[in-house]
Amino acid sequence: MGFLTEKIRIVPRLRTLIVGIPLLLAAVTALALWTVSRVTVDKKNEMYIGSIGEPGTLNPVQAADSASGSVTGVIFNGLLKYNAGLEIVGDLAAEWDLSQRSTFFFDSAEEAILAAANLEAGVMDREELHLRRYAVEGNRLELELSLPGVDDSEKLATKFGVTPLTVRTLSVMAPKPLSDALTLFAAKESTARVVRVWSNGNLGELVFLGDDEATRERLRVWLAERFGEEGLRIEPVQGPGFLAEPVVVFRLHDDVRWHDGAPFTSRDVKFTYEAIMDDRVASPRKPDYELVLSVETPDARRVRVVYRRPFSPALESWMMSVLPAHLLAGVPPDQWPLTFNRKPVGTGPFKFAEWKTNQFVRVARNEDYFKGLPHLDGIVFRTLPDPLTLRLAFETRQVDFWSADPWAVGSFRADERFTLFTSPSNSYNYVGWNLRRPMFQDLRVRRALAHAVNIDQMIRYILYGYGTQSTGIFTPEMWFFNPRVRPLAYDPESARQLLDEAGWVPGKDGIRVKDGQRFAFTLITNNGNVIRSDIATLVQENLRAVGIEVTVEMYEWAVFLKRFVNQGEFDAVVLGWALGQGFDQFQIWHSSQAEPERLNMVGYQSKEADRLLESVREEFDRDEIIRQCGELQQLIYDDQPYLFLFVPEGTSVMWKDAFRVKRPGPDGTWIDEPVKMTKAGWSHYLEWFYRPEYATEASE
Amino acid sequence: MTVFIIRRLLASIVLLFFISLISFFIITLTPGSPYPWGELNPKVSEDVKRVFREKFHLDKPLHEQYGFIMRDLFTGELRSIKDERPVLAKIAERLPATLALNLGALALSLSFGLLLGVYGARHAGRPPDVITSILAFVFIALPGFWVSYLLAIGLVNYGAVPILGTHTIGVTFSNGLEAFLDRWWHVMLPASILAIGGVAVQSRFIRASMIETLREDYIRTARAKGLDENAVFYRHALRNSVRPLITGIGMLLPALIGGAVIIENIFAYPGMGRLGYEAVLERDYPTLVALNFVTAALVLFGNLLADVLYAVVDPRVRLE
Repeated sequence: MGFLTEKIRIVPRLRTLIVGIPLLLAAVTALALWTVSRVTVDKKNEMYIGSIGEPGTLNPVQAADSASGSVTGVIFNGLLKYNAGLEIVGDLAAEWDLSQRSTFFFDSAEEAILAAANLEAGVMDREELHLRRYAVEGNRLELELSLPGVDDSEKLATKFGVTPLTVRTLSVMAPKPLSDALTLFAAKESTARVVRVWSNGNLGELVFLGDDEATRERLRVWLAERFGEEGLRIEPVQGPGFLAEPVVVFRLHDDVRWHDGAPFTSRDVKFTYEAIMDDRVASPRKPDYELVLSVETPDARRVRVVYRRPFSPALESWMMSVLPAHLLAGVPPDQWPLTFNRKPVGTGPFKFAEWKTNQFVRVARNEDYFKGLPHLDGIVFRTLPDPLTLRLAFETRQVDFWSADPWAVGSFRADERFTLFTSPSNSYNYVGWNLRRPMFQDLRVRRALAHAVNIDQMIRYILYGYGTQSTGIFTPEMWFFNPRVRPLAYDPESARQLLDEAGWVPGKDGIRVKDGQRFAFTLITNNGNVIRSDIATLVQENLRAVGIEVTVEMYEWAVFLKRFVNQGEFDAVVLGWALGQGFDQFQIWHSSQAEPERLNMVGYQSKEADRLLESVREEFDRDEIIRQCGELQQLIYDDQPYLFLFVPEGTSVMWKDAFRVKRPGPDGTWIDEPVKMTKAGWSHYLEWFYRPEYATEASE
Repeated sequence: MTVFIIRRLLASIVLLFFISLISFFIITLTPGSPYPWGELNPKVSEDVKRVFREKFHLDKPLHEQYGFIMRDLFTGELRSIKDERPVLAKIAERLPATLALNLGALALSLSFGLLLGVYGARHAGRPPDVITSILAFVFIALPGFWVSYLLAIGLVNYGAVPILGTHTIGVTFSNGLEAFLDRWWHVMLPASILAIGGVAVQSRFIRASMIETLREDYIRTARAKGLDENAVFYRHALRNSVRPLITGIGMLLPALIGGAVIIENIFAYPGMGRLGYEAVLERDYPTLVALNFVTAALVLFGNLLADVLYAVVDPRVRLE
């Protein structure tokens, strides 16, 4: 009997399970759906920003992606920053002073004294030549000028009456770190002749007086004994013939504290510089500081930076976020990713609170911020990798702010509930012609290609009107942009004429032919970028109309770079540059940068452009920079190494009623205004954003 | 049985070695190279690139690179190229969310698959069976991303339901039950989409296996002796038809830690799929090798487990 009852029981039990488990799962899920549909999200006094990308690291010195940048931007401060009008103002630095230290060497101390006396007698107006003071020390005469650059020093040198010795500089690159080898060489040489040794890793510099060739040869032999000939490069550096070293002195704010309470001092600045230069840190910002000779800290509140030679992008590089020395100085950089890079400590308006990988980073208000209490309790940077769900999250106010693509912004344009920000970006898109290919070497052909492509159409259909035609290597928002460069107009008729002139005549199939070669080439770009693939398609269509056959090929990004772009192995390429605020484009256009793996991948070579690229780097005078940059922009646009397409606008939307700005105005007043776009971006006043429903708190 | 298990384990180790070797070479021989500084960054100097290559041994010949990666993997020192965090920690960090998602999907596919399959077999050839069959094929054919988008748009626009991440951000729940239900929802939503295909496949397996079993002689005997049809079906036939389920579990085990790239992306779910996908795009060799290795180990373990389970449920199977 027991056997039978068991049989009877087991049958319904199995059936119940088969039906019951799915029912139970469905029921709990339905209950869960009911629960979550009832919750009301209380975002408190916080801001939610949605972005597609995940920060890689929260260490500002190592970060290279924009998602990391927007988070570290509110946690850290630099010494300097841009104001809303893109002028350089102090951030952690209360004030700064830029000057020039020029040192002249003479045969003897007597000659130096004589030169100083002649200078004293010869210079009537010190102001005009920006001379602050001068001093003689041994056989050297040191001038201090209030304006960096070499021009004034050269004028002053004409008053010496004695010819100074010529200063020569040899730049050295070796396969191994060379500081010891260089120092020993300097000691071995008669020390009076070597006046400066500088080295950082594998890069070094020897500054000496007099004869060039012999010293160069002795140095080569000395270094070859140590490192071998291979990978050794010794080159003379062009210079003014005296030591011309710009000096920047920063005076720091007194009352700044790190988020953990430790005081901020000049030691932090020096440490940050050393971290950037440390190869183990692998900072992408290192080239900005390569010309720094020394960073000194005369006291806790002052930082003195000396440059080896004039370098005008110098100030901008000190917008770099400063790292806390008291937390990092004793820790080897390979430990940073485990600790600091996931839990940063800064001086900024918000302090790091929480990072859930692939979900969000939360920062909280810094109660002790040196510029005043930020209004918001915190900011949550959410990572939402899918564009459609990011949009849904924005529409349902799960995020307040969204950097949307131009095509997506259209539907928000007419809607009163949203504020639409458009910002001219510092980027442009282009088609680069590989100038190593014979067909692109004829300027008439490149101009014809530019006339043949309808850029207005691109802006209308690809950018939905959010962009302007590019007129060269700078973008209209940059202060050194040349507005007089005329864009080449869409004019297929001139294009055909120019091609005819260049000898490319239509063949049987409608494609132009010259010397038996058809005008057919391959245009490549990377996968996954809709704007670039659309550009390629339109270029293909436009060029077909003037008798040129274009094949479009797309590759995955890593392949695209490694196999084609970096090797210069392509006919034409669709790409874009996202530029900073600086005017130094040496790496993109100088003829020395046309080797594989460098950024002049189209192989542009122009002596005139080289000269301008070199000289503008050493120029400090604002008007002169504008003049030289303008000339450079016109020159390169006329040469058409790229088909310069358009400067897209950044587009983003925010819920209009979500935030207002209440920021300190002049004379202790407060300016209360809606969130507006500034030249430095929508988030420029982020620490002064407040939610109107928390307005009382903001007014405290 | 013990001898069998030991032998299989030893064989697995050899197999794992070859798998790691092959996967390493496939990954490194793919065109492209690791480059953690974004698009053509003009600021990255040659020095920085050289130090970076040395740090990750990318300047060494491939076979030495393989040696370094395997050594570091076993000492736990292996670091990701993207953010230089230990790879194993990165995998472990995503494990809970990934396990939850895939266990949910597994539970849904098996339970609903069994239900539909048994239902279809019970009514074989009649309209209910035709309907479930059509349903199964529709399920197999549905593209997951499409269903996800439709579901997401519907839920968000018409119900204002939170769908992203592992829980609703910005809510403090009054009690633990609500918090649990919130997390349950955020797991079950992507899991149900992942399970759509699984339900269909499992139900077809179960149905076919049931129908086959029902033709066996002993079933005819059971019916002939007048046993109740439910008893024949559930007691005699069903128990002998669950082997496809075990195969299914064995096959799905690696998927437990493997990812679901598209679904995870759409629902911003922090799982293993996104880790692997981002690692592929960035050519993050260490992360990829570690992920492949762990997944391969789990597949082998899953196969072994399935074989052992066969022997447990089916006395006809002997392991030697």
